[in-house]
Amino acid sequence: MLLPKSSVLVLLCLCSSLALLAQQNLTGKIRDAASGTPIPGATIRVPGSTRGAISDAGGNYTLSIPSGTSRLTVSFTGYKTQNVAVPPGAATLNVALEEDFAKLDEIVVTGLATNIKRSNLANAVATISGKELTGVAPAQTFDAALSGKIPGALITANSGAPGGGISVKLRGITSVFGNSQPLYVVDGVFFNNSSIPAGLNDVTGAATAGNPNNQDNPSSRIADLNPEDIENIEILKGASAAALYGAKAAAGVINITTKRGKAGKSKVTFNQEVGFVKARHLLGVRKFTPETAADMGGSASDPDPDVIANRARLKGLYETAKAAGKLYDYEKELYGRTGLLLNTGVSLSGGSEKTTFYLGANRRQEEGIVKNTGYFNNSVRLNIDHKLTDRISIGVTTNYINSSADRGLTNNDNNGVSYGVALSTTPEFVELHPNELGEYPRNGFASSNPLETRDKMINNENTNRFVGGTNLDFRLQQSDHSTTKLVVRAGVDYFNLKTMAIFPRDLQFEEKGQQGHSIQGNTNNTNTNLAGFLANTFTPNERLTLVSTLGATLETGSLDNLVTTATNLVNRQTNVDASGNTATRQFRQKYRDNGIFVQEDLSFLDAFTLSAGVRFDRSTNNGDYQKYYVFPKGAFSWNITKMKFWQADKVDNLKLRIAYGQSGNVPPYGSKFTGMLGSNIGGNAGILVDNLQGNPDIKPERQTELETGLDFTLFNGRVGLEASYYNKRIYDVLLLHALPASSGYALEWKNAGDLTNQGVELGLSIVPVNTPAVKWTSNINWWFNRSKVTKLVIPPYSIGAFGNSLGTFYLEEGQPATQIKGTVGTELKLIGNAEPKFQMSFYNEVTFLKNLSLRFLIHWKNGGNNINLSQLLSDGGFTSPDYDDLIDGKKAGQYRPNAGDAGVYVQSAAYVRIREIGLYYNVPLKNNNVVKGLRLGISANNFFTWTKYAGYDPEVSNFGSNTLTTAQSRGSNGLSTGVDVMPFPASKRASFHLGIDF
Amino acid sequence: MKKIFVYTLGLAAVFSACQKGPINSLNTPIVSEVIVNPTKSDLFNLATGAESGMRTSLGTYLDAISIIGRETYRFSGSEPRWTTDIMGGGTKALDNNTFYLTNPWANRYQVMRQCFILLESLKTTRDEIATDKQRKAFSGYAKTLIGYQLLLNFTMTYTNGIRVPVAIGEAQGPIITDPAAALAAISKFLDDGKADLTGSEVIFPLSDGFQGFKSAAGLIKFNRAIAARVYAYRQQWAEVLTALNESFFDLNGKFNDGIYHTYSTSGGDQTNPLYLQLNSTGEVRVAQPRFAAEITPGDDRINKTALRNQPASSGGLTGNRDLTLWPSLNAPITIIRNEELVLLYAEAKVQLNLLPDAIVALNRIRLGHNVSVIPTTPTPTQASLITEMLTQRRYSLFAEGHRWVDLRRYNLLSTLPKDRPDDDVWTMFPLPQSETAK
Repeated sequence: MLLPKSSVLVLLCLCSSLALLAQQNLTGKIRDAASGTPIPGATIRVPGSTRGAISDAGGNYTLSIPSGTSRLTVSFTGYKTQNVAVPPGAATLNVALEEDFAKLDEIVVTGLATNIKRSNLANAVATISGKELTGVAPAQTFDAALSGKIPGALITANSGAPGGGISVKLRGITSVFGNSQPLYVVDGVFFNNSSIPAGLNDVTGAATAGNPNNQDNPSSRIADLNPEDIENIEILKGASAAALYGAKAAAGVINITTKRGKAGKSKVTFNQEVGFVKARHLLGVRKFTPETAADMGGSASDPDPDVIANRARLKGLYETAKAAGKLYDYEKELYGRTGLLLNTGVSLSGGSEKTTFYLGANRRQEEGIVKNTGYFNNSVRLNIDHKLTDRISIGVTTNYINSSADRGLTNNDNNGVSYGVALSTTPEFVELHPNELGEYPRNGFASSNPLETRDKMINNENTNRFVGGTNLDFRLQQSDHSTTKLVVRAGVDYFNLKTMAIFPRDLQFEEKGQQGHSIQGNTNNTNTNLAGFLANTFTPNERLTLVSTLGATLETGSLDNLVTTATNLVNRQTNVDASGNTATRQFRQKYRDNGIFVQEDLSFLDAFTLSAGVRFDRSTNNGDYQKYYVFPKGAFSWNITKMKFWQADKVDNLKLRIAYGQSGNVPPYGSKFTGMLGSNIGGNAGILVDNLQGNPDIKPERQTELETGLDFTLFNGRVGLEASYYNKRIYDVLLLHALPASSGYALEWKNAGDLTNQGVELGLSIVPVNTPAVKWTSNINWWFNRSKVTKLVIPPYSIGAFGNSLGTFYLEEGQPATQIKGTVGTELKLIGNAEPKFQMSFYNEVTFLKNLSLRFLIHWKNGGNNINLSQLLSDGGFTSPDYDDLIDGKKAGQYRPNAGDAGVYVQSAAYVRIREIGLYYNVPLKNNNVVKGLRLGISANNFFTWTKYAGYDPEVSNFGSNTLTTAQSRGSNGLSTGVDVMPFPASKRASFHLGIDF
Repeated sequence: MKKIFVYTLGLAAVFSACQKGPINSLNTPIVSEVIVNPTKSDLFNLATGAESGMRTSLGTYLDAISIIGRETYRFSGSEPRWTTDIMGGGTKALDNNTFYLTNPWANRYQVMRQCFILLESLKTTRDEIATDKQRKAFSGYAKTLIGYQLLLNFTMTYTNGIRVPVAIGEAQGPIITDPAAALAAISKFLDDGKADLTGSEVIFPLSDGFQGFKSAAGLIKFNRAIAARVYAYRQQWAEVLTALNESFFDLNGKFNDGIYHTYSTSGGDQTNPLYLQLNSTGEVRVAQPRFAAEITPGDDRINKTALRNQPASSGGLTGNRDLTLWPSLNAPITIIRNEELVLLYAEAKVQLNLLPDAIVALNRIRLGHNVSVIPTTPTPTQASLITEMLTQRRYSLFAEGHRWVDLRRYNLLSTLPKDRPDDDVWTMFPLPQSETAK
């Protein structure tokens, strides 16, 4: 092996020395055409050869070109690619690049191995640059940073708890009980986004009564990803764009590319953020009077001596507390902390012609708005690209993440132990503060003293995660008219999640109950994906290009979740064996999906693009694991401006497009089995039939999506409009439908109906001002979705929330999938709809004098209802801040729960929010060799919200979005967002930024 | 092109090498496995699961009907509906699609389904696994549990109806709204169970809640005790007495002899869902004030409650006595016990106008609780003894799930107090939404 290798080297040397004989040196500077600032990192290439150079930090380049070279291609991300003429014998050549406002030259990954230019794309693929993601006002986690940035998406923060928990729904309701969250692909690796509960239900009993779904509300694992590493995100919103990703992609694909190194001088970047976190909005507490305090004990007219005594006692409590100046605002004490946030990132990138690398390390540390809560994420990434030979290149990405979230105890519970539920019955005049010995008084108004719970409990999620991927490109064959390449992509995502929920035995609710809980969970998850593609590009002549792709994919997953709950704890100890009783649960799941696809893309005159493909998919989750399901796709676009007859030069791009695709959504693991669950009594081991009936014939949902649109740009890209209409139909919707419970089964898996989502997405991008002094770019997006159940082969039924009397999601043929029905009087009536009427986002960047830039993002969600049960609980506990306001002559707190109208608590969750606003300054530096760049900035994230919603925040979900379903507990479904039950209040953040480049 | 062909083949080989059969259920046995050719362990596990499953949502059931029967109040910071819907507060009514109805209803039918799975698996059980006699014990036990579980659901929905559960593979029957027909169906299960148990041999384990009743003879006694209750509901008084004779009824026996649901904090077991610490706050269960107000002085049944340090209030309701019936997470909950059988005996005798026998039984209860015998003047009448019997049932079976059913049987629900002006005393639960959906 040694000999041939060295001979290649010798050959290479020979060739280059030969070439040296007939070449000239060219130098120059690449600048921005509008501002004149140098552009570092631009690629200068001799067309038809592998010869090229990259501009340095000052925009300068040096390139030796064969004599006789007449043209150079100069390209840089975000700028229009230019072909410039080289004057014969020239030694210098300066190039001014025009910014590609309409991103027409942007390359979008549409297939798994093929790309297409945006100007020829048949789908509206949203892209988010790293700058848009984190460059305005960084959010705590990656998923939170997407909010308001994807037209066509409904993004909802489930919980304000550190570590997040975000629901992302692209183009409406994709699935009700199947996966409704998009597939995240990071550099070709399928990135697991499950939410795994910590077993808090053992303490809260939240799922034991009104709703059997797990309400632990864990964070989504996508939050682990470090947003600073991200170069670019492409969002494929439906089957017409994402079909080639197969069975996991029905809810769309969020395709993330991380930063790579560039050949040239090594670059070191250091970023530091320091800021604070505060509750977005607190509701306030009810101000009592002696009389209203007494009313907590019963009616003033009640002759019962117990009631009279109780009234007197409560009045006395109030008066004593008031006289001692001990009326407290416990809401503020619990949720009012200002947390410190620190975010440090260092990256090193660079490389040679053959090998480039990016090394990034980041540490985010953040205190929550509740004492003893917070988030801590450490991430290291190393991406290496290497050209093995002229024909073979290999890319390796590796990422290690350690994240830890302390999330407190919030959301629904049936034991009066979560902060909010305890607060809801606790009036201002009770003393909850510890005495000088550190002993907490017992709360006479709730099962727990929330201050004590907060100070003594732990609810921690700790993740250790490794994600790695390899991408191999092998050019098998190249001739004048044909190129064939083999692409192999492999990835592995492994994480261990350790959850720890500790409730010491001396807590108020533990001391006479179970005497302490130590719930320790260990989850190991491994996902792998492997794919191979053969792609042939055939160019018989200049006008026609044909790309044929053949590929096969394989994905596997394996999860093992082991949770041990110890009760009756030994004092001062949390290990599960230091306890009187332990119970252990285990849940495992495995799947194996594989697919085969072929695709043919045709491009004619660079104006017509035609594409057709078909994919065959099977999965072990399907009833018939051997059966391949067939999903076709097709797309067509016509860029009229590239036709010869096109003359209107004010219109520089006009495109008509249409795309159609199908994709499947595999049934959840285990849906084909009717399980027998462990159920022991008195030391005898037993099994009890699950009330969920499996379906051996279960098959994937089939999504078909038709998307059509018109895109144009005017005035050299200064004005651009992208308009899309889509019709997304889901056939054989997977439903966990209610059976008459007298059958012995309450629920059954069934492919039981059809759904449609129709919507419009409009994106307008304008550059109102583009002068050297001021540059203003603006993106306005407006979108809506309407979902409807078009067919239901089973009777209509309630699928979420807490029963008819409190408002419930209700699936019914001919009605929106997101409708909320509830009891009004004695009838079940329509009382709301969770789907927004429309959403709008408005992103602006204004740059003054090249160096000072203001960026902001405004997000308007119009319409959409929440079920506000936090208010119900506060009303029931006499503590709503507006309890004493009058409605129909009755106190609001008494009127609402007794109105006999579920609609009272179904409230508008519309809002206008300044999601992000930031002001950044690039400090102009005199030439020096040490510091190349210096940036300063201030930013505010989610700081200003206008809403009439009466809860902490209109973005809320008691049920999470993709909580794992285990044999013993039900996870979340695709609809039940917007149910508000004593959530962790949402927070806002403000930061100072410092960035230095070396 | 040859190269490409080779690569394609190679790729195909890599992928096909990975394919290895289906992925089976990793977490639980599945029904289709245990239902055919079961092993002895399968049968035991099924029998145990059926016993265990009877406890699911039992706390919810007992709370709901004890509140409607105005025996207790349940105050909960997290669940206001115990004082609104269940008591008809304001304009609130019972919801046909929420936990207090749907959970117990579904869980009772779940146990019945389990019993039918056991019955189905017996069809293919080989003699080496269980002999005919042994199989009869399984089927008798299964049918007895079906009868008992169906009875509990009947108590909830009454003339709104129940459905008679059917064997695996059979189509569901109609809703039976005629109480006589519904109760006849329940009796049928119990009678079939008794027939199977007769001469059978029990090999499967039962928890200590069945202490003394773990044999075939014991299970027959259990079966007949439940049958006696059903006959009383059917007003077939002579049959009540016959059934009592075949049960563990003992006029002079201990009141608490009987069959129970056991609980424990051991792993995989359930803890008593009704346990609440005394003087707890936030989550509170107290006796409706009239329980103490109307009790005979000296009656030791007052000790089923204990005075709280502070009265508890919620939603305009106040109570000051906690329940002491379930003092720990391990405390058992009654299925049926001798005290009820004595009272059923008294009830049958009163109804058959055999008043002296009834008085003996009622006095047995009274004396057993430190209450003097029934005064002989004025001479007790059938009517006065019915009132007396209901009073003794009220105190003897307090919060065990009887008061509301008893007053409905005697058409006396209107005598229950309404604590707040807009409250209602419901006669029955609506049929769950899932049963009526079309």
